[in-house]
Amino acid sequence: MSKIGNIPVNAQAGKKRTNPLAGVFDELVQFCQSRSMFMLHYCTGCGAIELPPAMTSRFDMERLGIQPMVTPRQADILLVTGYVSVKTLKRVILTYEQMQSPKYVIGICSCTVNGGMYWQSYATAKVLNEYLPVDVYIAGCMPRPEAVIEGMRRLMRNIEEGKGHAWKDYFQRYDYYLGNQQHLFGDDWQTPTDIIGEARHYGLETEQTYGEHTRILEQHQQPLEPHKMRIKF
Amino acid sequence: MRPENYQLVALPNSDEYELFIGPNHPGIEGNYAFKLKLDGDRVISGKADAGYLHRGFEKLMEGRLWIQNLAIVPRICVPDPVPMEVVYSLTVEDIEKMEVPLRGQWIRVMQLELSRIASHLFTFGGHAATTGMYTPSYWGVADRDLALDLFEELTGGRVYHIYNIPGGVRRDIPNGFLDRLSDYLDYLETRQNDYDNLLFTNQVFVKRARNVGVINQEQALEWGVTGPNLRATGLAFDVRRDDPYLIYNELDFEIPTQTAGDCLARILVRRDELFQSVRILRQIIKHLPSVKGPVRAPIPNPLAWNVSMGESYCRVESSKGELAYYTVSDGGPKPYRVHVRGASSMHAVQVLENMAVGQRIEDIAQIMFSLDACPPEVDR
Repeated sequence: MSKIGNIPVNAQAGKKRTNPLAGVFDELVQFCQSRSMFMLHYCTGCGAIELPPAMTSRFDMERLGIQPMVTPRQADILLVTGYVSVKTLKRVILTYEQMQSPKYVIGICSCTVNGGMYWQSYATAKVLNEYLPVDVYIAGCMPRPEAVIEGMRRLMRNIEEGKGHAWKDYFQRYDYYLGNQQHLFGDDWQTPTDIIGEARHYGLETEQTYGEHTRILEQHQQPLEPHKMRIKF
Repeated sequence: MRPENYQLVALPNSDEYELFIGPNHPGIEGNYAFKLKLDGDRVISGKADAGYLHRGFEKLMEGRLWIQNLAIVPRICVPDPVPMEVVYSLTVEDIEKMEVPLRGQWIRVMQLELSRIASHLFTFGGHAATTGMYTPSYWGVADRDLALDLFEELTGGRVYHIYNIPGGVRRDIPNGFLDRLSDYLDYLETRQNDYDNLLFTNQVFVKRARNVGVINQEQALEWGVTGPNLRATGLAFDVRRDDPYLIYNELDFEIPTQTAGDCLARILVRRDELFQSVRILRQIIKHLPSVKGPVRAPIPNPLAWNVSMGESYCRVESSKGELAYYTVSDGGPKPYRVHVRGASSMHAVQVLENMAVGQRIEDIAQIMFSLDACPPEVDR
């Protein structure tokens, strides 16, 4: 029995399910999930310009059940559209950690794959996969709307076949991702989200969740205190 | 980021509070943030937070060959990339004392005006969407896509073309391209009435946009406002007419102006400019077949091209405002220094900060879109 705050939680990780219909139910859930996705497009770079054509009348992404969503907490897909500068990457990670599981990341443009055109730039993060688990990459500079939609369909197929598990990797290998983030942002890097606590809650913690980098995080982590707001009526 | 940086900060002993808009926000154009200090709904002060799109362009260009830089210059302004290529080529030609063949110049102007149409159509949609009208954004993006199809036929790329090189353009126009361009212009003119009814004379929009974000001419000149935003304050300044480049002095067009200087005036100037661009393109369709000759001047082996020593400052009128490049060559295979005067670098920073004061919070997005600020051009 673990606890979140003072509330006891029945986390029964690894318990074998006995219901014979569980597999059928999972398939049904995956089918539904793959057909109603809300995407949060973070316009990190140039690729954002091909999203309005893909979303509006001509290419019409909505027929696949994909709609833009304005808040990270209600979104399923995080679209990282283009190169991420170091300043942006902090916000991308914050946004990603706020999203509810299961969550998927799509890296659009060559710049998210290997740095692309800005491989020698001092200001950009080159490989997105080092900082966030990416489900699907759409290469191209910039990918056409058809390519964007094809990437979306590939993600839908992955989810339907039960292969969209990249988000679990973030919990399972948190030390690796955190290490890369600390390498870029400095040792005092921290986010308000308690990833280790979430990993425990989902039963996804492995040996690689902890390591030297999470120990550095613990040294610098400050407890979050609610701000006192003064509201006058 | 430290948690205290993005939480709502309550200021002691006052009703004022601070609020972040952006960088990931539907009311912000691109990856850009704006930090507001508010009292209720009123903005007391605003602080622009740029740098999310910084790639270090000017440094990157010093490390690449003259011809390689053509691939990265259009990335500086994503919705309107053609002026970037043209003005970079103009500076190199100016240093090398190169003469562009007349046909190449006409094709360049054709691209510039088509790109202006595409950029303005995109802006209409964005501006209307900030007031809650989503139909114009669907229309604008769909009509812009037809222009992108023409670009694809001409250059092979939808958004980034890399079609202009120092000395002219890469290749001649395809057969029948001018007919298809003419069809597109016919289509745009039939849409004029629809756009007017839907957006520009629609009271829902007009009442929302009038008297919001007003700047007068003095302020505009002081703050370095250029382009359609300056012409919306009543000053008919346009680089195309006042400092003509390429073949603009042979073309017949007007400089549309408005006097109010508010959000409505700015979008109306853009509307008129769009149809002036249509008028220019009609003249090009008429004249281009009679201009014979090559489309580019011969250049030396581009991979071993040492541009002669010198410096040049060239400016063009992009859809966002006055765009200029200052290029210095020390006689080597790479530029010694390239400086970009992005048109929106004034608009999105000090103009937006000054205009936000005293406005209501729901108008901030509209003001930003009405300035047509392009964040990648600010950060570069």
